[in-house]
Amino acid sequence: MLRLLAAGFIASAAMIGAIGIAAADPVTITFRFNDTEQEVRGAIDEFQRENPDIKVDLQRIGWKDARNQFLREAAVGQGPDVMHSAQVWVKEMGKAGAALPIDQFLKKDPPPNGFGDFISQDLARGNDGHIYGLPWTTDTWAMVYRTDLLKQAGIDKLPTTWDELRADSAAVYKKTGKAGFGFPAGSSASGAIWFLANFYWWSHGAALIVQKPDGSYGIGVTPDQVAASMKYFKQYMDGGDNPQSNLAASDAHDPSIMQALVTGNQAMGAMPPNTYKEIIKAYEGANPGKPVPFESGPFPHPDHTKSSMIGGRMLVINANTKHPDQAWKFVKFMASEQVFAKYYRTQFPAQKSLLKKIDFGAPLKGFAEQFEYARTWGPYADGPVPIGTMWNLTGRAFGKALSGQTSPEQAAKDLLSEIEKQMASKG
Amino acid sequence: MRDRLFITTMLLPTVVLLLLFYGYPIFDNLHMSFTDLSLLGMRKGGNWIGLANYRELFRSGDFGHILFNTFVWLTATSVVLRLLIGLGMALLLNTRALKLLRLAAVSRFALLIPWATPPIVAVVIWRFLLERNGAVNHALIALGIVDHPIAFLADMRTVWPSLVVIMLWNTVPLIALSLLSSLQTVPDEYYEAAELDGATHWQKFRFVTLPFLMPSILVLGLMSVFWSFNNFVYVWLATGAGPGTYTNVLATEVYIKAFVDFRLGYSSAIGMVMAVIMAVFGIVYLRLVARQQLEEAL
Repeated sequence: MLRLLAAGFIASAAMIGAIGIAAADPVTITFRFNDTEQEVRGAIDEFQRENPDIKVDLQRIGWKDARNQFLREAAVGQGPDVMHSAQVWVKEMGKAGAALPIDQFLKKDPPPNGFGDFISQDLARGNDGHIYGLPWTTDTWAMVYRTDLLKQAGIDKLPTTWDELRADSAAVYKKTGKAGFGFPAGSSASGAIWFLANFYWWSHGAALIVQKPDGSYGIGVTPDQVAASMKYFKQYMDGGDNPQSNLAASDAHDPSIMQALVTGNQAMGAMPPNTYKEIIKAYEGANPGKPVPFESGPFPHPDHTKSSMIGGRMLVINANTKHPDQAWKFVKFMASEQVFAKYYRTQFPAQKSLLKKIDFGAPLKGFAEQFEYARTWGPYADGPVPIGTMWNLTGRAFGKALSGQTSPEQAAKDLLSEIEKQMASKG
Repeated sequence: MRDRLFITTMLLPTVVLLLLFYGYPIFDNLHMSFTDLSLLGMRKGGNWIGLANYRELFRSGDFGHILFNTFVWLTATSVVLRLLIGLGMALLLNTRALKLLRLAAVSRFALLIPWATPPIVAVVIWRFLLERNGAVNHALIALGIVDHPIAFLADMRTVWPSLVVIMLWNTVPLIALSLLSSLQTVPDEYYEAAELDGATHWQKFRFVTLPFLMPSILVLGLMSVFWSFNNFVYVWLATGAGPGTYTNVLATEVYIKAFVDFRLGYSSAIGMVMAVIMAVFGIVYLRLVARQQLEEAL
């Protein structure tokens, strides 16, 4: 009888346990995304339908704060499980111990075409050899033009040199009263002027960071070249064709710039493709049935130099996550073909096999052309000073020069001496 | 002797708690200021570098500019204007005409709105108002005062005055309402006596009103100095310390060095310098105000 009772107890306990497990809440992981929710909402819903045991909480944060916020949180054992990162931040996140190495997942449960299919692998791999992020999207920046405003200013072909770009911008302002090349000239931590400065240097055969023949890293641009680039972009501010208020704008997708392009108050802009697509969509929404008066073109690239970067985003798993397997499952899903085919259509996938299948279409022709004249960050990412640090310093130096706070010569000298100092302190 | 022991025993837990609560972060910050701690290296900690951060700070070409911004624009200008405008508003609200027109209560309520507005909301509202296509530019152009919109928060000629206006809009009401309550404590007999002596309006203000308000003005002035000197929100949200670094102040520099450049050690050194400056203000406050209040209480 006692045995029967004991068996009954054990069976009951096992049943209660089983019921408890079956009724357990799904695991919740947090995904921090830095663009608009609608870009990924569909994909997340699909993932949750396919994986009812995993719930994904979507957090939104602006690019401006994304890197610093994640590093601060990760340093104290907090932060989202999966983070949307610029490709150039991943190495330093690995070095800081904020990103989880994903080598084991890539070995155990790799994406369909393996890690070799992904571009920007160099930026995902830390100096310790571990892989800290999965390249997710790739893009390049290009110039975007309002063809109707160019026509009004008597311009019938897109500029191909920096001087032509300047002259056309001034002509638009003079003849139409609208802004010409309205670029964000602000100096915040993720300021777009960093890109424009580098594109200008690269297209003139220089680079802020270069690798020397002995393998060490150094500065590959002179103070005069930096000052010249500052003077070049300052002309737009001084001439009035880039409104002074853009000194307070730092992002390519700053609402005032996007709005000015949509409403025809600005003729030229520089941006990544997702921003351009948003502008086209906004124009089509405001002007149904009208032909889209936009055209894209590459940045000037005299002598076939490079004039833009191959950039993009990665997905990083937080080193503090309590659910690494679920986080990897989510990361792998987000990089899958079905996500890019059905949901995440504002970005290009960072996989060679998927990239080949893309039809860029007429409005994005300039971006496709720009890819031929784009380069990776290379030595910038491998060198001793984190790209984020150089980005901030460059933004502030340009901000000082463009606003007239200091002369371009002084700002250029200060910028390079600060980077030299940082290089020396980091060996 | 036993009383003293009893008092000490009773106060000890509070004193220990205060020391832990305030003392530990201060000493931790002081320790960090002697290291090269980076946000990227928080797990391994920083290396001891002695006074190097302080040397770099005092030799930095930007330090003078940042100090000037902090003392002159952020603190002195805003505090003086806050007190003057606050005093003016308090006097206006206390006038008989306003009471007769039954506008006193409405005016006081209206004054509460900007004060109750959180600084972040105030800055966002003002950014909209001051932007290129904002209401202020529209009004200026419509009135024929300017031909082209002014980039208030991006132009070096207008950015500091604009920032001061935003700060004043949000903080003057508190000063005005505080001074108004002090004004209402002035006995009417004093004014009647002054009138009998043939005092003019100015003389009544100078010799009756002002002496009554001076203690409040002193306290509010010193408190304003504390609020303004340490303030980060207005500058950071309105301009991000730009254009360039034109509106950078000590509080924003602490943030930039710590969370943009990731140099926590260097940022801690700036924080310690700020703390020393604030300690000087604190001593002044203690000597002028707190001691007097203590004596009155005893």
